[in-house]
Amino acid sequence: MDRTERILDLVALLLDAREPISWAELREHFPSDYGGSDDAAERKFERDKAELVELGFPLTYVQGDDERRDGYIVDRDAYYLPEADLTKEELAVLYAAGSAALASGVFPGRDDLAHALRKIGFFAGQSLPTPRVRMELGAVQEGQVKEVSARLEQLWDACAARKWVEISYASPKHPNATQRRVDPYGLALRRGVWTLVGHCHLRGGLRTFHVHRVRELKVNTARPRTPDFQVPEDFSLDSHVAYFPWQHRFHEPVEVVLRLSGTLASRASGLFPGATLEPMGEGLTLAKLRVSFLDGLARFCLSLGADCVVEGPESARSRLREMAARVANRHADALEGKVTA
Amino acid sequence: MSNVHERLRRLLFLVPYVSKNPGVTVEALARALNVSREDLLEELDLLTCVGRPPFNPDDYIDIYVDNDRVYVDLDQRLFAPPRLTAGEAAALAASAELLRPAAGDALQSALQKLERVLPPQVRERYREMYRKIDASAEAPQALGPLTRAILERREVTFGYASPGRPAEPRQVRPYELLSHRGQWYLQGFCHTRQDSRLFRLDRMEDIVITDTPFVLPPDARADVPNPARSRSEDSVRVRFSPVAAPYVKERFGQDARPLADGGVEVLVAGDSERWLTQWVLSFGGEAEVVEPVSARAAVARAARASIGL
Repeated sequence: MDRTERILDLVALLLDAREPISWAELREHFPSDYGGSDDAAERKFERDKAELVELGFPLTYVQGDDERRDGYIVDRDAYYLPEADLTKEELAVLYAAGSAALASGVFPGRDDLAHALRKIGFFAGQSLPTPRVRMELGAVQEGQVKEVSARLEQLWDACAARKWVEISYASPKHPNATQRRVDPYGLALRRGVWTLVGHCHLRGGLRTFHVHRVRELKVNTARPRTPDFQVPEDFSLDSHVAYFPWQHRFHEPVEVVLRLSGTLASRASGLFPGATLEPMGEGLTLAKLRVSFLDGLARFCLSLGADCVVEGPESARSRLREMAARVANRHADALEGKVTA
Repeated sequence: MSNVHERLRRLLFLVPYVSKNPGVTVEALARALNVSREDLLEELDLLTCVGRPPFNPDDYIDIYVDNDRVYVDLDQRLFAPPRLTAGEAAALAASAELLRPAAGDALQSALQKLERVLPPQVRERYREMYRKIDASAEAPQALGPLTRAILERREVTFGYASPGRPAEPRQVRPYELLSHRGQWYLQGFCHTRQDSRLFRLDRMEDIVITDTPFVLPPDARADVPNPARSRSEDSVRVRFSPVAAPYVKERFGQDARPLADGGVEVLVAGDSERWLTQWVLSFGGEAEVVEPVSARAAVARAARASIGL
């Protein structure tokens, strides 16, 4: 009998059973599948059982007593999906986000996500909202989508099962690929880029890797149901992956004060989330933020234009001036005249 | 995941789905399961052989296609799909984070309800897995009202600010939201400009959902802003230093032409001087506009303005 068919038969049998079903009965019911030597039959059933558990099938073995005999039984209440009673808004959020993530082509756990969306839509019938949210991820070029998608799927499985991965990794800064073994702790999406965070055996510490820069990836296949590592209790993805360029942890953090005017003043909270904002009246806002990568901030401020001025400290002011002077001088012939920082 | 596992998950959903939607067309069912028509018919064939021992005629799943519609007479207790697995719930919750904080209370309560429909023994595992994907994009608050306006097909008004100019009122039919490289856009029809437009959400203020309904055109779809793909006669030639070159190559691929000094050059659309200037400045001196002179001058002016000249 085909394995898929046998497992579905087992599901139908166990869902219908009122009494525990013993191993002897199972062998009687499936003589050609669980026949043969005891060892081989048991191994086969163990694999089927593992598959059932993987599917979320609540199978347990009960020791018999006076009232009941030994055998396998299923908690039917724990099997069937109950209606979650999601409101229209709740369903819309889950559906819009889930569909956008799936359609982006690059989201870890895509198979899981597709099944989850089907299940939450099961009770909604025809009233499912039409999602009108789309996501296109950055740094992934058109031809790379398939590859990045496959890597994310492997990493998702490895994170879930806590299995180490072997990667070949190269970045623009270090273009020669290195081979590393990494314990994958988690995946974070920031400004359209997926980052893997994990313990790197080569460097002996926590490192971050952009998933689109992973050239090759192999997941440890030995003992698939036994975890290879533990994620430290206090680990948090958020403290290892920067949201904004000035948050890369290259230097000791300093507090930088920016003066925003014009249209930037009212957009301050969107431009610098997490910054302390002080409206100064007359279309001026002061923004104070912690910066651990000054060049990242300087480049961003420069791109915002003259309405974004660095008030202090002096190191940040001079860095921005240096950069601006450099840009001005490289283009000086178009306007005439050199600029000193 | 193995093929057997995927197939089993699909089949354990298929039977209840037909049971709940008797007479669903083959096409609609294939779409719901994201499989081809041929693959679906094969699955249905397999299901007719599934049942429970002792395999009397009434013990088999009775599922059949009649006049291109699918029916199930005996579902053998497969009338509802299995609960969410830890992995399914975690992937769903992580994807929902994409719309945080815009989704506000709806997201929070949806996740709580989701957790309640998990089997108790997988909740801990779900929480552990959920912590392993962090997709909390920097979703602007404006996503919330705009998603609602799109769903309810109602026009919106907002002030739209361009750098150096005060916000201008716009009335727009919102069609689609698009996140591109972490930047959110709204695509819609702008009454003020009488044309389709792409608006950056971070430039909108005072969004109001009006009572004016509209009909969504079937082909409404935002074009992804891609400067390298929209080259024209007005293209701008930008040169990057060897320091910036590897990053530019990573983004532009074959469109980044290598230079003798180790740098690269790209041609980008020149129809938005403002965008171009900002982009070149964001490289902090590692990028230079080669031509045209007008674009060089714009960059020089902006850089000088930043130091108060």
